Amino acid sequence: MTSKFSTVFLASVLALAALLAGCSKAPSEADLNLATAKQKAEQCVEPENVIRTKHMDMLMHQRDATVIEGIRTKQHSLKECINCHVSATKEDGTPLHYGDKEHFCTTCHAAVGQKIDCFQCHADRPEVGQDPNYQHTVGSVEGHHFTQGVTAAAAPTAAEVQMVAQPQQGAAK
Amino acid sequence: MSQNRVDEYRRNFITALGGAAAVVAVAPTLLLREAHAAGEVAAKPADQAVTNAKRWGMLIDVTKLTDGGAGMVAACKKEHGWGDEAHSSPEQQAHWARVVKVTDKLTHNSFSLPVMCQHCENPPCVDVCPTGASMKRADGIVQVNKHTCIGCRYCMMACPYKARSFVHEALQDQKPHSPRGMGTVESCNMCVHRIDNGQLPACVEAAPDAVVFGDLNDPNSAVSQAMKTIGGKQIRADLELNTGVRYHGI
Ligand code: SF4
Ligand code: SF4
Repeated sequence: MTSKFSTVFLASVLALAALLAGCSKAPSEADLNLATAKQKAEQCVEPENVIRTKHMDMLMHQRDATVIEGIRTKQHSLKECINCHVSATKEDGTPLHYGDKEHFCTTCHAAVGQKIDCFQCHADRPEVGQDPNYQHTVGSVEGHHFTQGVTAAAAPTAAEVQMVAQPQQGAAK
Repeated sequence: MSQNRVDEYRRNFITALGGAAAVVAVAPTLLLREAHAAGEVAAKPADQAVTNAKRWGMLIDVTKLTDGGAGMVAACKKEHGWGDEAHSSPEQQAHWARVVKVTDKLTHNSFSLPVMCQHCENPPCVDVCPTGASMKRADGIVQVNKHTCIGCRYCMMACPYKARSFVHEALQDQKPHSPRGMGTVESCNMCVHRIDNGQLPACVEAAPDAVVFGDLNDPNSAVSQAMKTIGGKQIRADLELNTGVRYHGI
């Protein structure tokens, strides 16, 4: 998985470099987001096992807080998951959508036979038009939510971990 | 219902301050122009819930809209990405905001005005919703919580302003800040994502000389002052919905 993501990043970096070729100032390391999936996992908003088992609960909680109360913290925001984890395009440059097997969310949901409705309404990829470097640099100011309240969520139970580790028979397609 | 809440707040404030209020009300005609950036939105900390201390609203001066509001509608489209539904008929197309042309049958005098959700204080669309998806936020913004909307379209029928529309087809590449999708009803949400971020709604930014936006509960806000000076009419005031969107020159 790591290598696939690095390739995607490399491709986007190359595309960016081509874009910026005409500019006088070449982008520095800090301008670009070179974090690999592994690095990102280490700095995710919650520990990996919590994310695996509880992300749906967090999103469910956040959606009501946001729509009804106007609370727009970034830590459990779906938009920020997408901004960090999903590339806007596939390696060949065509748009990457939830229906594609390379989509970050799809990789697991397909394996466990989950059909979700989030992306009927929500954007399933970052909006590159506004900011070509849409993804947070790991550890940057923009990525402040990586370090906030990481211990806030309850740890998954052993049964939940088990469930994630071993998808049910016949669920995968 | 004798007086609306906005007036009540203003009256209380003026009573409390007495003469001081008169000093605050400076050169009236300047106000609309002074508020050039078209009002103000105080940034709210992201982790705090909205309260009913504020009630957002706007005053649209139709006489200063040279294009009848087309620019405002275009800005809304661009912000939220509606109106380009490829498989929907013209009647089915989303319309968060429309330019409505009004002609007096007797004098043939006509003018245009932009009509969007009026953000009623007593919204009929909220009364009828079977799931609670059609909702009024504490700060007066009326919107559809699409997570719980079942697409029954009851609210579309209830709204006297034809402010709501239904998404008839599957969508892709929505704006990340404005989720919208098939099977749900939608309408102007006063650019709630921008307000929470301390920004003015997109349409207000597109017509800064004609629109003043702000807190209707605050008698000193640019919008309250402008309404005090030039008035702020409601469309179909007879329905007594106490709309948050008010007009001058209609
Ligand atoms: S204008 Fe229509 S959609 Fe908006 S609050 Fe009033 S009834 Fe509801
Ligand atoms: S269409 Fe949705 S928001 Fe409107 S009344 Fe039905 S459930 Fe409520």
